[in-house]
Amino acid sequence: MDIFAGLAHGFSVALMPSNLLWCLVGCFLGTIVGILPGLGPAATIAMLLPMTYSMSPASGIIMLTGIYYGAKYGGSTTSILLNMPGESSSVVTCIDGYQMARKGRAGAALGIAAIASFIAGSFGIIALSLMAPPIAAFALSFSSPEYFALMALGLALVVLLAGDSLVKGLIALLVGLWLTSIGTDLFTSQSRFTFGQTSLLSGLDFMVVAIGVFAITEVLSSISDQEETQVLPVPKGLRNLLPNWEELKACRFAFANGSIVGFIIGVLPGAGASIASFISYGIERAFSRHPEKFGTGLPEGVAAPEGANNADTGGALIPLLTLGIPGGGTTAILLSALVLWGVKPGPLMMTESPDVFWGLVASLYIGNVMLLILNLPMVPLFAQILRIPVYILHPIIFGVSVIGAYSVAGRVFDVLMLAGFGALGFAMARLKFPVAPLVLGFVLGDAMERALRQSLMMSQGDLSILISRPISAGMLIFAVGVLFLPLLPRFRRLKEAAG
Amino acid sequence: MTKSIFRDGDVIAGALTAALGTYITVTAARWDVMGPEGPGPGFFPVGYGIALIILSLILIFQRFTAARHTEEDRPFDWAGFRRAAITWVAFTASTGLMPTIGFYISFGLLTLFLGLFVFEKPLKKALAAGVLSAVGFYLVFDMALDVALPAGLLGF
Amino acid sequence: MNRRILLTTALAMGAALLAPAAQAEWKPTRPIELVVHSGPGGGNDVMGRALVAAIDEAKLSPVRIQVSNKVGGGGATAASYLADKKGDPHVIGIFTSVWITNPLVQQEANVSIRELTPISLMVLEPALMVVRADSPYKTMTELMDAAKANPGKMKQSGGSPLARDALVRTVLQAKTGGRWAFISFPSGGERISALLGGHVDMMVIEPQEAGELIRSGKIRALAQVTESRLPDFKDIPTLKEAGFDVPNPPQPRGVIGPPGMAPDVLAYYVDLIQRANKSPGWQKFLRDGILEEKLLGPKETLEFLTQTETQMRGILTESGVKLVR
Repeated sequence: MDIFAGLAHGFSVALMPSNLLWCLVGCFLGTIVGILPGLGPAATIAMLLPMTYSMSPASGIIMLTGIYYGAKYGGSTTSILLNMPGESSSVVTCIDGYQMARKGRAGAALGIAAIASFIAGSFGIIALSLMAPPIAAFALSFSSPEYFALMALGLALVVLLAGDSLVKGLIALLVGLWLTSIGTDLFTSQSRFTFGQTSLLSGLDFMVVAIGVFAITEVLSSISDQEETQVLPVPKGLRNLLPNWEELKACRFAFANGSIVGFIIGVLPGAGASIASFISYGIERAFSRHPEKFGTGLPEGVAAPEGANNADTGGALIPLLTLGIPGGGTTAILLSALVLWGVKPGPLMMTESPDVFWGLVASLYIGNVMLLILNLPMVPLFAQILRIPVYILHPIIFGVSVIGAYSVAGRVFDVLMLAGFGALGFAMARLKFPVAPLVLGFVLGDAMERALRQSLMMSQGDLSILISRPISAGMLIFAVGVLFLPLLPRFRRLKEAAG
Repeated sequence: MTKSIFRDGDVIAGALTAALGTYITVTAARWDVMGPEGPGPGFFPVGYGIALIILSLILIFQRFTAARHTEEDRPFDWAGFRRAAITWVAFTASTGLMPTIGFYISFGLLTLFLGLFVFEKPLKKALAAGVLSAVGFYLVFDMALDVALPAGLLGF
Repeated sequence: MNRRILLTTALAMGAALLAPAAQAEWKPTRPIELVVHSGPGGGNDVMGRALVAAIDEAKLSPVRIQVSNKVGGGGATAASYLADKKGDPHVIGIFTSVWITNPLVQQEANVSIRELTPISLMVLEPALMVVRADSPYKTMTELMDAAKANPGKMKQSGGSPLARDALVRTVLQAKTGGRWAFISFPSGGERISALLGGHVDMMVIEPQEAGELIRSGKIRALAQVTESRLPDFKDIPTLKEAGFDVPNPPQPRGVIGPPGMAPDVLAYYVDLIQRANKSPGWQKFLRDGILEEKLLGPKETLEFLTQTETQMRGILTESGVKLVR
């Protein structure tokens, strides 16, 4: 079956009324799951799995996958409105999204997030349907040295996130590296920095750290500055609640950047959507004409990461559907769902179960449109949340944060850690340490250490493995180039603007 | 002037992170840094631990040499800090109470407390906020979504 | 105290053996919490959910059973959660071999599986030794000879050094005198990708994960890490048949309760698991997952776990892992 015949067949499956309904149900549930930090797509899919036994495999996978990518759409909502990431892939969106909300552009930020998600999501799906097998082969060519170079590139971007003091930015980054190495060392089972606590053996969870240093810190800062009754301005009139033409135009490059970076990183089983969103944000800033304005509420600072985490979906489904390899927790549970329905995910699935394979791919096109239609009308509605007076809204943020932290592993311990990170973030804000590098270090540090140690085990300690491979060498050169970016004239302004 | 420099935020922060860096380096040096099968669990921490010490010292050093005058000497906002500290302590205390009284009650109490003492609302308003948000959360997360939350001795 | 537990356990088992099912006195009165140590989609979680689904489908439990993910510490979080629930009849958990190995090497993982109340071993997970389809090694002997000829040059992708794949390497290295690198990856997807991409030479993998890749000709199985050949892989020799008579480090999974479980409660769960094991849903799960059914009662499970612990101790010491207990 060639691609177009396959897609045509897929649409005939996906457009069946029952499947359209399941797709809508999945997308809707996904959006809700994304908005609420307490619910993750993986847990929701696991919960709903038994319900799908009686459905046809195509309907089942269409609905469950809808939850997976719907959650990425919804994840930006609380990032923008409350500085509280709804999903780990929406953490970066807090940086510029929340600042846009502070400037009264919450609606615009939400709209841009939805549009970027739609554009990049569609790009990911088109790439998935046209060239899944060759892309899968490309993903397999990535070995540990390439992963190391990718993470090094990501860490190099810290020089752009650091703000006015590079030294403080680097210190925050190193603290992030330390926090991520807490727990059991994968290679030796040596427990590191656990202070004898069983609860720390599995390390700190990214969501606990991120919600702590973003959401809790923001509430504490706002209370400390005694911002009165209404937290943020919300403009009147529907027109002012949606992105305007200038804002959309500013995002042109970000839409493309998010699409490509998100898709490529999504394909790699060892990376993931949060890494994709960070790197896409960093690249957006590196090539921007006004890098100094990032972090003050730039629409492209929302479009790039939100695009990346949605393009990631199309990418992440490639190893799953062509090789039966899951790249992360959510795709792992989709895989076990396929097995339970009797579909055999693997290289033969495309030919042996065309209904499921092409039906799913076609449903992604449909679901993406549904999500845009579902999300855009909600934008003005969500923006009204900010009208809630602070004495009610701030406790609500606390409550939702607690649920988000608790549901990571069902432990009060994580909620206490959340409080701890809230205090750390507050202290950092008072002492003018940027918090983004800490989060960046936390996301990338573990993967980078792992990739380096794997590489050196493969080469028996020979460091040249890192530069003798073309892709890895290329990315490392780019990373070194990024380190020198602040010397460029347009980045000098960064310092002047701040100092 | 010397006295105020020791009260300076950068100096305090630098001292703290330098201490953290020392702790990291000393602890990690006891693990295998380089084993027969490649870098060990101590390899990375020793690296960033030392980097952390160096950067912290640079931060302190910068403070003593250069920018002594640049920052306008704004008095520290003690009142604001006190409000944030009270909020944080209340939040942490409500977390500590969760295993005993459950999420919903402790959340309602936190809302009530913050309404009264931090936002200085009248008792009626704060009480209404506390009760309504606890009930609202219960309806959304327990009834509608069935999210498992810390349950107290009363079972919810 | 311990003696009393032993005694009551023995009595309970006697009761369970003599009087089947319906006469168990204790019945759950509120939802049962089934603790698993992996996040949604992980092996432990998938098994827990399959068990619950099978029980629900056959209507074996009067109350709801909820899977609760106590993630982390290679089972240590879940084990210590169970230990804290001493005497609570409405909490049970799913154990795997890491619940045995972890406490041996980690100071913080301080709950031994023998302090808890083993209820039933349910399955043994088989494994295959695989290479990429275009690998020059067609048999286990060729692979091992190559490893011996190029000490340290060959690579195996796998998980934690305590996991079964690492233990298989240890026993094979001890047997053959060969030496190769063991590269840890956190997720199964990354391990398989490293093999498929040709970045490592071999891997020990669960048959269910490997099935489709073998069928489509992407990877080749050289041997199975089992006592006897699996029905799905009739043409593949076991390690012993291939000429490598090494102990097979087992990968057991089963159900366990908190410490101090009352005899009638234990009897109830033993009966529940026995009936769940026979249910069509569970049998289908075993078939689809290519798992070996191995149902043992509480006493035999405890014996099995104790034996396995001794065996693991030996293998871990052999592989140079520092034991703390």
